[in-house]
Amino acid sequence: MFFQVLLRALTSTNTWHTTLEFAALLVLPALGGVISERSGVVNIAMEGMMLTGAFASVMITLALHTIGVSDPLSVILGVLAAIIAGGLMALIHALTSINFKANQIVSGIAINIIALGLTSYLVFVLTPAGQGVPSLPFSLRLPTLPWGPLANIPWLGYVLFQQNVIFYIAILILIGVQFLLFRTNIGLRIRAVGEHPQAADTAGVNVRLLRYLCVISSGLLSGLAGAYLALGVAGIFNPGMTAGRGYIALAAMIFGKYTPLGAAGACLIFGLGGGLGIPLQDLSSNPNLTYLLQTLPYVFTLIALVGLVGRTTPPAADGIPYDPGSE
Amino acid sequence: MAVTAKQPETSDQRPPASRLAQWARTFGAALGRPIISVILAFIAGAIVILITWPNKTVDPFTNVINAYTTLFTGSFGTSENFSSTLVRVSPLIFASLSVAIAFRAGLFNIGAAGQLAVGAMAADMIGLTFTSWPSWILVPVMLLASVLAGALWGGIVGFLKAWRGAHEVVTTIMLNWIAFYGTDYLINSPPFTAPFGVTATIVLSPKAQLPSIASLSNQIFGTNLSTFSYTVDVSIFFALIAVVIYWFIISRTTFGYEIRVIGQNPKAAQYAGIPTKRNIFLVMAIAGAFAGLAGSTRLMGQPGYNLTATAFSLDPTGFDAIAVALLGGGTAIGVLLSALLLGGLRSGSTAMQAIAHVDPNLILIIEALLLFFIAAQFLPVLGRIMPTWLRLGRRPFLVPATTGTTSVALPENGNGDMQNEIEITELDKEE
Repeated sequence: MFFQVLLRALTSTNTWHTTLEFAALLVLPALGGVISERSGVVNIAMEGMMLTGAFASVMITLALHTIGVSDPLSVILGVLAAIIAGGLMALIHALTSINFKANQIVSGIAINIIALGLTSYLVFVLTPAGQGVPSLPFSLRLPTLPWGPLANIPWLGYVLFQQNVIFYIAILILIGVQFLLFRTNIGLRIRAVGEHPQAADTAGVNVRLLRYLCVISSGLLSGLAGAYLALGVAGIFNPGMTAGRGYIALAAMIFGKYTPLGAAGACLIFGLGGGLGIPLQDLSSNPNLTYLLQTLPYVFTLIALVGLVGRTTPPAADGIPYDPGSE
Repeated sequence: MAVTAKQPETSDQRPPASRLAQWARTFGAALGRPIISVILAFIAGAIVILITWPNKTVDPFTNVINAYTTLFTGSFGTSENFSSTLVRVSPLIFASLSVAIAFRAGLFNIGAAGQLAVGAMAADMIGLTFTSWPSWILVPVMLLASVLAGALWGGIVGFLKAWRGAHEVVTTIMLNWIAFYGTDYLINSPPFTAPFGVTATIVLSPKAQLPSIASLSNQIFGTNLSTFSYTVDVSIFFALIAVVIYWFIISRTTFGYEIRVIGQNPKAAQYAGIPTKRNIFLVMAIAGAFAGLAGSTRLMGQPGYNLTATAFSLDPTGFDAIAVALLGGGTAIGVLLSALLLGGLRSGSTAMQAIAHVDPNLILIIEALLLFFIAAQFLPVLGRIMPTWLRLGRRPFLVPATTGTTSVALPENGNGDMQNEIEITELDKEE
């Protein structure tokens, strides 16, 4: 009985469409995490950066729409604002953890808290009577991008070729980051800075600058994910709407052993948890099953951490502030 | 010839400072950093109010002053308000002790929120299952269940850390979400869920609840306190006892000494023959037990007396506890005072919203800034321009710098394998 339900859910196009959507939403912050941690800065603040991005995208899009900017332009500028907002949050994390040598986990927690506090506070201040942001009209959302005739292929068309525009951007970014980290000079330097900053410094690499850039890019990617969530998937901003996605991205990063492709694979697995949730809820007699399904990404990651599927090792200098004077 | 008596004093041998100056220095070393962080955070919060100016009927400065006065009168101003602050403070103390004891062992327990959830759930399950038991058995068993469940949840983290090298920050985040969704599942499942489609558990019977201090006092001393005005329950006494127990464990037992050594320098602990792995497991289990009590006391002591689905993932206690433990420097008295401060902020924020029209989320902003100010090491820079006797504490930051988000290799027993050495924290190098 259960397997029949599962089989039906697994063959449904909706399941896979949602799975890919969830995965793309997770892969952006996960890639940000990979870049940041590869450069030696622990980043558990993707949740907060994503939330800030979601907030900025909706607020700016709505504001531009109100002053009469055309709808597509408002959306594009909203997405840009989200990217910048995420980057600014990351800049704070970079400042405290690189310059002030703060404990990077405390700084990350503080970012997550301040993102939640500030966005909720600003929603209260900026919306009339503090009643919250209205749902966006479809013209102000990120559109899906059907690929002409390809979109009409049965099954595959809906799953692969009728996704949101950010989905395809996410795939390009994934390939780009994988290439950047493992096939370019800069990537080599980033990894060197994360493994042995002293050696990299001696070889002429600007450790602090590189770490700054990496942390900020994690914010840019998380901000983009926030825009995707708010303008593409949900069409609204609610305080705390990221609901732990940044933490799942963190899990995906670790599950994927700090590599872009690995993280993307993990996002697919975790996304399937989300994709299966809705059909299973509809089909099964016990609607609570989704709660148990939602624990699966975390259970998988724990199992991975325990070392049953090969050991996960972070970059050697991950989390240690760089001090040119030491050793 | 009493030449020696006439020798000039070197700079190292200054005359003993006056008692006041000495006291001021000790005071400054212990409290300078937290107090300055609190002041800076409040100033920053004031700037946020100034810029956003939520109450346009008064000028921005009055708005700030109104907000902060209502915040403090709302939390400490009257005995009723103080009582409702204490309602928030007692679970917060338990959760903060959980974070603090892990800090002392150099471990970062982000998992208090999840340990709290499983603790509350375990107590609730016992309370709803054994309804026929008399109160004097049921309440202790419920508390014990929360201790055991919390200890299990924390113990998993300790076990993975000690024997598998999995970094506790990541395992606690994972276990938090497993706990949140797992409890959601149980809360929504029979036989615990309330009828009529409510996503919450059945309300505990009065005999499974912790009595409020007011009603106890009315029964025993014949006072006439209103239980509606004075809501604080007896768990605040349990919390105070827990603070004393924490102090005792940390400063008066061998175990406390051992975990402090592990926290300061794990390698030294290993070479001194301290059973590092066992102690890491134990300290996380104890941390979990404290957090579990936070869950059960909140369930059994606060009106509602039931659990709501998805409430745990939104509950700020686990994160407040991190701020409290850091602000309190991991000391018993520090945790107590900081818990009062943060619990007071949370409790007074409703009054602040009602009277000064400032959104309660301002508290989150202040709390986050507080964390930044405690964690960022720019205060020593500030300290250098202070008079010597007022030098800010240059005590090492409570938490050692972490190495990576997944694993920290512990030195193997006795073989001194240099490959596995744990990086000494940045600050230890400075000291």
